[in-house]
Amino acid sequence: MAITFKSLSYIYDKGTPFAHVALDKIDLSLEEGKVTALIGETGSGKSTLVEHLNALLLPSEGELEILDYKMVAGHKTKGLKMLRKKVGLVFQFSEYQLFEETILKDVAFGPMNFGVTPEEAQKKAVKALKLVGISEDLFNNSPLDLSGGQKRRVAIAGILAIEPDIIVLDEPTAGLDPKGAQDIISLFMKINRQYGKTIIIVSHDNDMVYNYADEVVLMSKGHVVTKKETVEFFDDDALLDEYGILRPQIVMFKKMLKDIGFKLKGENRTLEDLSKTIVKEVRR
Amino acid sequence: MKIIEVKNLVYSYDNKKMAANDISFEIEKGSYTTIIGHNGSGKSTLAKLMAGLLEAKSGEILIDGIKLNEENIQSIRNKMAIVFQNPDNQFIGSTVKDDIAFGLENHQVPGNQMEAIILEYAHKIGLDAFMDKEPSNLSGGQKQRVAIAGALAMGPDIIIFDEATSMLDPKGKRDIKKIMSDLHKEKNITIISITHDIEEVLQADNCIVMNAGKILMIDKPSKIFEKSEELRKVGLEVPFSALVKEALKKEGLKVKSDDLEGMVKELWQLHSNH
Repeated sequence: MAITFKSLSYIYDKGTPFAHVALDKIDLSLEEGKVTALIGETGSGKSTLVEHLNALLLPSEGELEILDYKMVAGHKTKGLKMLRKKVGLVFQFSEYQLFEETILKDVAFGPMNFGVTPEEAQKKAVKALKLVGISEDLFNNSPLDLSGGQKRRVAIAGILAIEPDIIVLDEPTAGLDPKGAQDIISLFMKINRQYGKTIIIVSHDNDMVYNYADEVVLMSKGHVVTKKETVEFFDDDALLDEYGILRPQIVMFKKMLKDIGFKLKGENRTLEDLSKTIVKEVRR
Repeated sequence: MKIIEVKNLVYSYDNKKMAANDISFEIEKGSYTTIIGHNGSGKSTLAKLMAGLLEAKSGEILIDGIKLNEENIQSIRNKMAIVFQNPDNQFIGSTVKDDIAFGLENHQVPGNQMEAIILEYAHKIGLDAFMDKEPSNLSGGQKQRVAIAGALAMGPDIIIFDEATSMLDPKGKRDIKKIMSDLHKEKNITIISITHDIEEVLQADNCIVMNAGKILMIDKPSKIFEKSEELRKVGLEVPFSALVKEALKKEGLKVKSDDLEGMVKELWQLHSNH
């Protein structure tokens, strides 16, 4: 297991009258090499949970194992800096964090911070920028002159240049236009499929989750409600209704077809597969 | 009656690429229009030109029959309010109440009338419980409500929403879209909304599709979405129902309906007849 939460709690302002339990005894294991989607309404604890993954927050109670690292509440953990190299965290609206005078410098900042030489950092930055599709003639421009979608890609390149094993993304497509959002998602699928990186995405976009995630973790009020394989998760009508989860459009359409009498054998995860199944049943 | 008339509008940020390339259109008073287009298509530029935040290189804009220029800008701004994308970038007051009051003070509304105006609009938008809260402690959806209440309190004829829901979670998006639709229906306010949200496009009266600084299409939403090929070419999303229709066609099955419910019925009919 890449990541294991054991009875982990996080309490903001612990020991003060404002104490607020954001995570309540979380038990959760996430495997290496998978794309996991973390969903749940605003305030359910998703962001607090992911901030533990590169030790921005440390457990108030319980423990957390990530790769070879173990964080136990009340104990000092050594080597957190190296953990932060292995787990890259892309924040919401990460483009607001660009600050260097050129795109190349901004992306090279991460690897330099982890002690590689300026030449090596530059090499890694160039590689990461190419991966996210920023063309070379822009490298010496200010990152602030880019469009929103391009800025987001530069910010992501800044994390990729550190070459982490686990990449955590908090709402990576929020605020982008449809094409910009699709480009970002395709990029992460490529990174997962080609380089075998573990990817954890916090998202409110259930259509995207359905299309790309291997498994779904649902959070509510500081608890993990369930972890399930994606198709199975969105087939669980009782669960979706209890937690008021918006169905992906294709799931909604499948439900309409089943309600009228279609059998729809098989998984039918894509529109292409679903159309084939419909045609088969219509013509039988 | 026309409330906005745009004639041969031209604008460029760098004198090379045209952000507005000879744009002309009209907007009816009390209508709800969405503007869609990929990033960089010129839709935000168009909104800023209409709001007088940018000055056109040539062409003209008439707001309620008055030409938008340096002389008239103040009186035109009284008719128009804007709600921006990022809820965090538009707060001044230290409480919700102060924030709504700020705009009124700027318009020299007498202090003894202010309280009543603020409470009225806060109530309309469902902010009663938040009046003494700090805006920065609210959720994204609540923040946008404060921005809308502040805009409404100025009594505008037109409100421009510049991607006002794009940074919100699904619930925030739904709430704000409902408020926009209600303002349009109940208060007869002219709404212009720049958006990427197909659901929102469908709830409006008209849609303008922008590409490369030009208007590609201007029509009712249902008509716009019939042209899925053209939309895709300019990097825009196509409604799910159109995707279903296409996927079925690829498998050799043509359906007539445009909405999912109709399609499901049609498919079941075919199934039963076979």
